Amino acid sequence: MTVAICLLLYSLVVAVFAPRLLARLTRAGVAPRLGIAAWLMAAGSVLASWSVAVVALLVELLRNWTQPGEILAACVTTLQGVAAGEAGVLVQSGLVALTAIAIAAMTVLVWRWGRSLLRARTRTHRHASMARVVGRRMAGLDAVVLDAPERVAYCVAGRPHTIVVSSAALAALDDDHLAAVLTHERAHLTGRHHLLLAATRGLATNLSRIELFTTAASEVATLLEICADDAAVRRHDPRTVLGALLTLSGGASIPAGALGATGVGVLARAERLAEPPPPAQRARMRLLLSAITLLVTTGPAFTGLLAARGVASCLPGFA
Amino acid sequence: MRGFGDLESVVMDQMWNRAGKATVREVLEDLQRTRDIAYTTVMTTMDTLHRKGWLDREKHGKAYHYWPTLTREEYSARLMREALDGSENPDAVLSQFLAQMSDEESSRLRSLLRRLSSRKGAS
Repeated sequence: MTVAICLLLYSLVVAVFAPRLLARLTRAGVAPRLGIAAWLMAAGSVLASWSVAVVALLVELLRNWTQPGEILAACVTTLQGVAAGEAGVLVQSGLVALTAIAIAAMTVLVWRWGRSLLRARTRTHRHASMARVVGRRMAGLDAVVLDAPERVAYCVAGRPHTIVVSSAALAALDDDHLAAVLTHERAHLTGRHHLLLAATRGLATNLSRIELFTTAASEVATLLEICADDAAVRRHDPRTVLGALLTLSGGASIPAGALGATGVGVLARAERLAEPPPPAQRARMRLLLSAITLLVTTGPAFTGLLAARGVASCLPGFA
Repeated sequence: MRGFGDLESVVMDQMWNRAGKATVREVLEDLQRTRDIAYTTVMTTMDTLHRKGWLDREKHGKAYHYWPTLTREEYSARLMREALDGSENPDAVLSQFLAQMSDEESSRLRSLLRRLSSRKGAS
């Protein structure tokens, strides 16, 4: 019981403090990969501590079960005990109810998360295969072209992966800019960024009340763009990537109701391309993010051990 | 980018380029001008496209007459809408090069870029 309570407290602390702290550290996009790792580990450590808490509850319950082999009989005894007003049995049945609720909640979460991952996969694969039939092929272009007035370029995972460029974007971009855009999109596909996006978005939609998961989803999305920008910069000039960004930001206005909300991310990307962060700042940020990642990775195990060994004496009633 | 399903795209391209309905034989004759291809291959592909909802068909005597269910423009618009909604829709995971922005965000980006390029020019 102590272990479960301590782990829940730990996850509460991470859920409250991690979003603000990490958002401040990763917003500028210095050390994007480590930023992504820190967000994923923070979200993962909350999930892990929940799972371990449920297991700890279950173990506790089974260990204290007076007659392990006769669950049904024990149930009956429990009911009789409650009727007789035995306090110990009351605690026991409370524990049973709590464990049952916790297991049910975790099962529902895992089920919904899995379902949204599958749905995302189906949708994106269908989009990719449709785009490959509808889109026009151009000689020497590793993408399909869709006729549209909006300047848009994107990639979709599928079999095979597909990069889509709208006809308006193709007309607006010169060859260098187009090459930079394609390198950026290919980096998304080879880096399997869609899996990370689907996983974090799936958590954010199913746990939309917990700020950690919603912020993680949007920040990871921006950091993945920055990673892909870095890949494009390695092949092309930073100014070329910046120019492509500028070109695509012009053109036909966006239909109402289709506004993404990541303007901050775009500004961060542009600023970073124009003025890469100095090495000293990068080194400091790497160190800081690595430390946080290590902290949240080992956090659940540490808390669990601490609770099992030392703190147990704080709550003698439950130990 | 070439791979499985490529022929479906070629056949649909054919179907969208012609005005009315077409039989498998007619599509085959057009395709044979540019590539070596068998009747059964085209027939299977068109049957698949019908099953997937790309083509409608009607029996005339022995042969089916096929036509596209929607125009290429209609499909393009549909895909583009899905892509533009991408950042709102958790199910469609697309990585856009540039997320769609509001006018205000877009003008902020432009002024930032102007500032950065003028600073670069000055130094």
